[in-house]
Amino acid sequence: MTVKQLIDKVFLTEILKGMALTFKMMLSKPVTIQYPDEKRKIYPGFRGKHAFVRDAKTGRQKCIMCMKCVNICPSQCISLKKGRDENNKPFLERYDIEALRCIYCGYCVEVCPVCALVLTEDFGYCSYTKDAIFFDKDKMLKNWDEFVAKLSGDVYWNKFWRPDGVDIAKMPKSKREQAPVPIRPTAAVPSDTVPEKKPVNPAEKPPEPAAEVEEKPEEKKEVV
Amino acid sequence: MLKKKELSINMGPQHPATHGVLRLVLELDGETVVKCTPHVGYLHRGTEKLGENRTYPMALPLTDRLDYVSSMSNNIGYCVAVERLLGIEAPARAKYIRTIMAELTRIANHIVWIATHALDIGAMTVFLYSMRDREWILDLYEMVCGARLTVTYPRIGGVRCDIDQEFMDSCYKFIEDFPKRIEEYETLIDQNRIWLQRTVGVGIISAADAINWGLTGPTLRGSGVAYDVRKAAPYDAYDQIDFEVPVGKNCDVYDRYRCRMDEFRQSISIIKQCLDKLPDGLVLASEAPPYDMPIGKPRVMPGHPMGEILPGELVEEKVPFDELYSATEVPKGELGFYFVNDGTARPYRMRIRAPSFVHASVLPKLCEGSLVADVIANIGTIDIVLGECDR
Ligand code: SF4
Ligand code: SF4
Repeated sequence: MTVKQLIDKVFLTEILKGMALTFKMMLSKPVTIQYPDEKRKIYPGFRGKHAFVRDAKTGRQKCIMCMKCVNICPSQCISLKKGRDENNKPFLERYDIEALRCIYCGYCVEVCPVCALVLTEDFGYCSYTKDAIFFDKDKMLKNWDEFVAKLSGDVYWNKFWRPDGVDIAKMPKSKREQAPVPIRPTAAVPSDTVPEKKPVNPAEKPPEPAAEVEEKPEEKKEVV
Repeated sequence: MLKKKELSINMGPQHPATHGVLRLVLELDGETVVKCTPHVGYLHRGTEKLGENRTYPMALPLTDRLDYVSSMSNNIGYCVAVERLLGIEAPARAKYIRTIMAELTRIANHIVWIATHALDIGAMTVFLYSMRDREWILDLYEMVCGARLTVTYPRIGGVRCDIDQEFMDSCYKFIEDFPKRIEEYETLIDQNRIWLQRTVGVGIISAADAINWGLTGPTLRGSGVAYDVRKAAPYDAYDQIDFEVPVGKNCDVYDRYRCRMDEFRQSISIIKQCLDKLPDGLVLASEAPPYDMPIGKPRVMPGHPMGEILPGELVEEKVPFDELYSATEVPKGELGFYFVNDGTARPYRMRIRAPSFVHASVLPKLCEGSLVADVIANIGTIDIVLGECDR
């Protein structure tokens, strides 16, 4: 045993060093985030609660019922029903995501050819009932409204819609044409003139007359 | 005359020091363990069978849930295996990004390991400090892929999206600061006499035994065998990176601890080299299968008893009609994926060689003859996660 080892042994050097460190830590700034009061920064692209993008031009979701998300979902928690209106035009009759089964992989966001889906940055949603976490198409639009109300800026773009570094040429044409979604329609144009005056982007689904007209008044209320 | 009888007790499945739902039946003679029998399977979720019912891209998120403290490494292991099966080569940039991610995961995993191992042995402070630092890595994950634990970031043929400058900057900052944090952990326990008494000379397994029991990763390297899949069969960018494989020599809990502490430093150096060398370009190979990979029809498997009943028809040449075993070095050891493919986009059989499962089986060998208190140290030192063990 060398002299140094003896000294270390007698004077508990290593324990004192450890104590000095913990004492130093006591004086430093705490790193704990007091969760409900304080929130940590969420990075863009966070995969949280599901939402349907509300198209600024039509005021509805953009889904074209291609079934890609239904087929790809690893936990098979998406179900979709295509209906036919009186003119025999297809419309989205039901679109349900059973979010309790969802594993938040984000595949559905990435495969959607028209960028109709998004996993928002909301994560703290819990409830005493299963129904509240079962998202149908109205709730999905509501989630979107709640989400964009918290955002700053006029447009929203999710990074999984067209991921960086992936060859764009291999994506479907409708996906390549997508642009950031305006999230403040009322700021730019009066909302009642939106559906008529604006030319419809050919990449997106033309507005369907039937079935979902009743959603509009509610939307105006919430966006303002 | 009093009769002497061995006492058998259950340790776990709800014991916090068993790192999950591991149940050990210990037969005790006083304080000495005479026999130790691990019981696993409490967390069995049928991952292998689920994988057989999904196409290759769809089964990827399942691998997150194997070893949930190092989910990125599992993803990478799976992607590397499927890429080898399909004959796809990921672009150079994706390979480097994956290497960075794999090493960040190694650090995150070893942080959880040191935290729980030290906590089990009685050093609580390390737990608090290391959890603080793990948060940093989880933030880095969130920055690239939007999730903190179940990342699903790599993708067959590359990664899902490119990293940005913000990530690069934070990552550089992390590798600059983290060595100081390692020193903090070492100040607390490295020479601490209680730590030394609990770890030195405990849980000895000789190099020959370690190989025979199939140990891999730091658990094997602590016994002085320098076997590392990253060196033995390089994948991703490891063949272009300069790093060492730390080995121990005393084969005990303390040497395995030292190995992992040295791996922290090696990982930092690997991340630094990767960030410096990061090439430009796309991050997804052009021949990578899309998420909605067509399933195709199965083919007859010649000589296989099941072959007769499968509808045989050669349909697609995309997925080779093949068997393949592919191993990657995850923080816990060698994670292997074994696929038997029948020509469809789904594996006919998917077998996961989980290091935790193999390591759990060595517990009887480590524990027999030791004291009850050392059982805890032995569970900690083999670094098991029951999600992976039970699959
Ligand atoms: S995030 Fe994944 S699991 Fe959830 S609905 Fe989308 S595809 Fe399904
Ligand atoms: S992938 Fe998009 S467009 Fe297709 S069904 Fe799903 S939400 Fe609708």
